[in-house]
Amino acid sequence: MASVPHIAVIGGGSTGIGIARDLAMRGLDVTLVEQGNLTHGTTGRMHGLLHSGGRYAVSDQASANECIEENKVLRDIASHCVEMTGGMFVKRPEDTEEYFEEKLEGCKACDIPAEVISGEEARAIEPHLARDIDKAITVPDGAIDPFRLVVANAASAEEHGARIETHSKVTDLVVEDDEVVGVEVEHQTGPDKKVRGTEGGTEQIRADYVVNATGAWAGRIGDMANVDIEVRPSKGVMTIMNIRQVDTVINRCRPKGDADIIVPHETTAILGTTDEEVDDPEDYPEEGWEVELMIDTLKELVPMLEEARTIRSFWGVRPLYEPPDVGSDDPTDITRDYFLLDHEERDDLHGMTSIVGGKFTTYRMMGEEISDHVCDQFGIDAECRTAEVPLPGSEDFSVLRDYMDEFGLRSPIGRRSVERLGSRAEDVLNTDGPNPTVCECEAVTRAEIKDAISQSGANLNAVRIRTRASMGNCQGGFCCNRMASELHGEFDEQITREAWDALLQERWKGQRHALWGQQLSQAALNYALHATTQNRDNDPADGEPVDFAAFDSGPTPTGTSGQTGVVTDGGTRDGD
Amino acid sequence: MESAFEPTEPNTGEEFEPVDVFPDSDDFDLRPGSDSCYKCSTCDTNCPVAEVDDEFPGPKFQGPEQWRLKQSEDDYDIDDSVMDCSNCMRCDNACPAGVPLSQMHNTARGEYVSEQMDHLSIEYWRNRILSNYRTSAWLASKTPRLANFAMNLGPARWLMEKTMGVTKEREFPEFATETFREWWDKRGAAAGSKERAQAARRERGLPEDADKKVAYFHGCYSNYNTTEVGKAMVRVYEHFGYEVVVPEQGCSGTPMFANGMLEDARRHAEVNVSSMSDLVDQGYDAIASCTSCSMALRQEYPELFDIDGIDDLAANTFESIEYLRIHEDIREEIQAAEVSGELADEFAYHAPCHSRNQGLDRQAVELFRELDGAGIEDVGESCSGISGTYGWKAEKYEKSMKIGDEMFDHMEHAEGETGMTECPTCAMQMEHGTGYDIRHPLELVEAALVDGHAV
Ligand SMILES: Cc1cc2nc3c(=O)[nH]c(=O)nc-3n(C[C@H](O)[C@H](O)[C@H](O)COP(=O)(O)OP(=O)(O)OC[C@H]3O[C@@H](n4cnc5c(N)ncnc54)[C@H](O)[C@@H]3O)c2cc1C
Ligand code: SF4
Ligand code: SF4
Repeated sequence: MASVPHIAVIGGGSTGIGIARDLAMRGLDVTLVEQGNLTHGTTGRMHGLLHSGGRYAVSDQASANECIEENKVLRDIASHCVEMTGGMFVKRPEDTEEYFEEKLEGCKACDIPAEVISGEEARAIEPHLARDIDKAITVPDGAIDPFRLVVANAASAEEHGARIETHSKVTDLVVEDDEVVGVEVEHQTGPDKKVRGTEGGTEQIRADYVVNATGAWAGRIGDMANVDIEVRPSKGVMTIMNIRQVDTVINRCRPKGDADIIVPHETTAILGTTDEEVDDPEDYPEEGWEVELMIDTLKELVPMLEEARTIRSFWGVRPLYEPPDVGSDDPTDITRDYFLLDHEERDDLHGMTSIVGGKFTTYRMMGEEISDHVCDQFGIDAECRTAEVPLPGSEDFSVLRDYMDEFGLRSPIGRRSVERLGSRAEDVLNTDGPNPTVCECEAVTRAEIKDAISQSGANLNAVRIRTRASMGNCQGGFCCNRMASELHGEFDEQITREAWDALLQERWKGQRHALWGQQLSQAALNYALHATTQNRDNDPADGEPVDFAAFDSGPTPTGTSGQTGVVTDGGTRDGD
Repeated sequence: MESAFEPTEPNTGEEFEPVDVFPDSDDFDLRPGSDSCYKCSTCDTNCPVAEVDDEFPGPKFQGPEQWRLKQSEDDYDIDDSVMDCSNCMRCDNACPAGVPLSQMHNTARGEYVSEQMDHLSIEYWRNRILSNYRTSAWLASKTPRLANFAMNLGPARWLMEKTMGVTKEREFPEFATETFREWWDKRGAAAGSKERAQAARRERGLPEDADKKVAYFHGCYSNYNTTEVGKAMVRVYEHFGYEVVVPEQGCSGTPMFANGMLEDARRHAEVNVSSMSDLVDQGYDAIASCTSCSMALRQEYPELFDIDGIDDLAANTFESIEYLRIHEDIREEIQAAEVSGELADEFAYHAPCHSRNQGLDRQAVELFRELDGAGIEDVGESCSGISGTYGWKAEKYEKSMKIGDEMFDHMEHAEGETGMTECPTCAMQMEHGTGYDIRHPLELVEAALVDGHAV
């Protein structure tokens, strides 16, 4: 092989993007294709826990070891995505003493720093903990923002020459003589799609090697080349609270069970989760009782959750895998470890490897292992540097906090902006023009929105995951229109309207699961506001081009919105 | 989960227990309070400071947004704009969802002052002196005539502005030559009051030992400056057959909350709660003649401090006219009365913001419109703009006058040329803006109902 090998990576979740960055940094030629936005899959619907390994310290020590190792690495290379909140395993009177001891021993065995504290000490750290918590084990759990992390990985991969194609679905594998030699890709058309890649149409991307990092979808890619990959998708619900009732990760110290963890995430707290096998990773029921279960069970740890405001709920699907000979019945028994499936060894199919299972926390380690494997195929001896080189945004971030005043922003707004932007803060926030706050709930200013638009084009859901704009308590009621108006100048009306509609649809999706009490008032207010000021009640003039005369003839029963089937990143299901 | 489905129950700040997150300080975790906010901005449109000051981010930011963005990490700063809030508490009243806005502002301000403000700065000491008005007033009352003369001397006022940042535009309030408490003691104190109350009961055909007793929280101003208000309170209450006692007391804390001096406020609150709640235990109700004092005792105390007896005191505190409207047929007596003399006048009445929060903004108008010999006209909903010590600060003076403009305007258009209000600092502002004399409703009740109010 004379020239640099070209590797095609399928899947823009944490696993795929980690592989792309690693291979690009080792000097390989990389193309990553993702059917939706980055984080369209499970990565965009996870809990945001940077595992210390404590959760696996009893049941799965191999995973626990990997977690603590990567936990340390990510604190370093991704400091602007990580908040070291610390965590604890709390024991209620009905939880067994034996398990508590096992947990402690397990942590020690895996070199996870763990200490026992009394119930009082735990409440001194987290005052809203239930009065009857006996004691707790502290561990170095943290919170991590998956969106920011994946975007930063993508930026780094691109800096090293990788091509990242979002909204590009692999429809087939190109197989010649039992060897995968490329992928058929369908690029989405439509103006609100990311503008950086090739727009519209199909493309055959030839590659010297293909990596299948499609998580819960891995079996479908396998099917394209007639190989079996038995991923067992298992769904889990997560419920987002309006505020952080806790500033520390709170785990329940008992063997396994639903609803046993609360993770402080940015301005919110996320309750989770369940573990239930589903047939189709894209089409499964989202049920009200699951949300109630979260609140009803976790209020045993933090009683105020019962009265607290819930802003939305979402579901994710674990790409669990177990070697065919294990045969667990219960998905909670399936290992959380990852597997590298070399199809040459396994199925006599050359040119492709799949990576399945694993966790977000260990994404980098998985990337390293698979990159080693790919390099081996070509006899390349290049060193992995992803554990040392900080991600864009995490270089020398600490000094910046001292200069926050210079951006002329009010205290919590500047503070939050800098936390999100990390070392990029100066470039992004030092603007000449006025810099009003666009999203008040999450303190996102125009400068940050503009910066996100420059990265993702007229795709407001992509802007959202980069900035958190519209993710606060009004759930976009007051800022979606402002975000859309930031597209003015660069994009025409039609594109802007589509991007705006897609954002509103996505915001509505998760809120449907929180329609009681305060969030119901919010939704009612948002509706009234959007109907009366933005014509969201589908006045007949809401066509294209706008038929202003139609305002006079009153509404017709058929509206243009009411679109269903949106997923977390605002794309439609199945990436189309 | 049923109880979470309670859309109509406003979040009064009682559903959640504020929690001491930072055990060594007075700070409460008020993040849960922002759960009720749905960003409607009604509070912003009702904020008098935001109306005149484009730089002020408004109560929505100051309260629910800032608290939600805050984290318990030590270096999560409070934005300095909280010092521009005048603590008029209008936002509290405006919010349809029951967000505990003023509690959020007060707590944030306390944190800002104790942790971020330079304790050697002139601003800090100026604010501290202004908010500890009681101490200055106590000093001045020792030599009231000299104080009145010296404080209002042109050069002295100029110097105060230059060195302390206290505006030279305002005249310092006049100190009474005899404080209310001195008068009270001379007059026979509690024992004297009991005799008079018993006489009044006999006259009214009530049993002599009727259970009618109140503890008067006079506040600083009616003790040192407008003693006629305190005297009117005592005479009016005795007229209705109440025994009055005047317990040991400090400042209510209102100016200290507004300046973020929560430590000072707590010291005074401890004195007040301890003496007043003892009396409440014995069956006394607490009465204040200043609406900010009653506001402090009934709302801010339990929101900000955790002192034994504080909730009982809060539940048994009333404003002076409010109490009589609840327990006495004062309306009928006023209807039957006719006022003559100095107070037979037309009044331009301003309802203080803090009276509005207690639902008392209509009481004076409703009462006096039926009084023969006097007329009363409400000058509208606007804020007077002084908000206690706020309008005394050189850098806030203009803002304060701009806020007051609407009220001044309405006062000029009202028929009367005498003002009326329950709040001593609103009275200062009203007088400053229009030159009118300003009276307290108790004075008019006294003139109407208490004959020959000599003793
Ligand atoms: C409820 C829940 C909570 C979790 N919480 C945590 C946690 O707190 N901490 C933690 O460390 N881990 C957690 N995990 C695990 C973690 O989220 C996943 O292991 C991880 O995100 C998987 O990433 P991935 O890239 O392998 O898969 P994905 O993120 O699903 O990525 C696969 C991508 O492939 C794309 N794709 C699929 N088919 C095609 C195609 N034909 N063409 C192009 N692209 C395609 C998909 O759109 C998708 O974006 C959680 C998982 C769940 C379900
Ligand atoms: S207390 Fe008054 S000045 Fe302060 S924010 Fe509320 S309305 Fe504005
Ligand atoms: S009035 Fe109340 S609900 Fe409306 S924005 Fe202000 S605090 Fe929030």
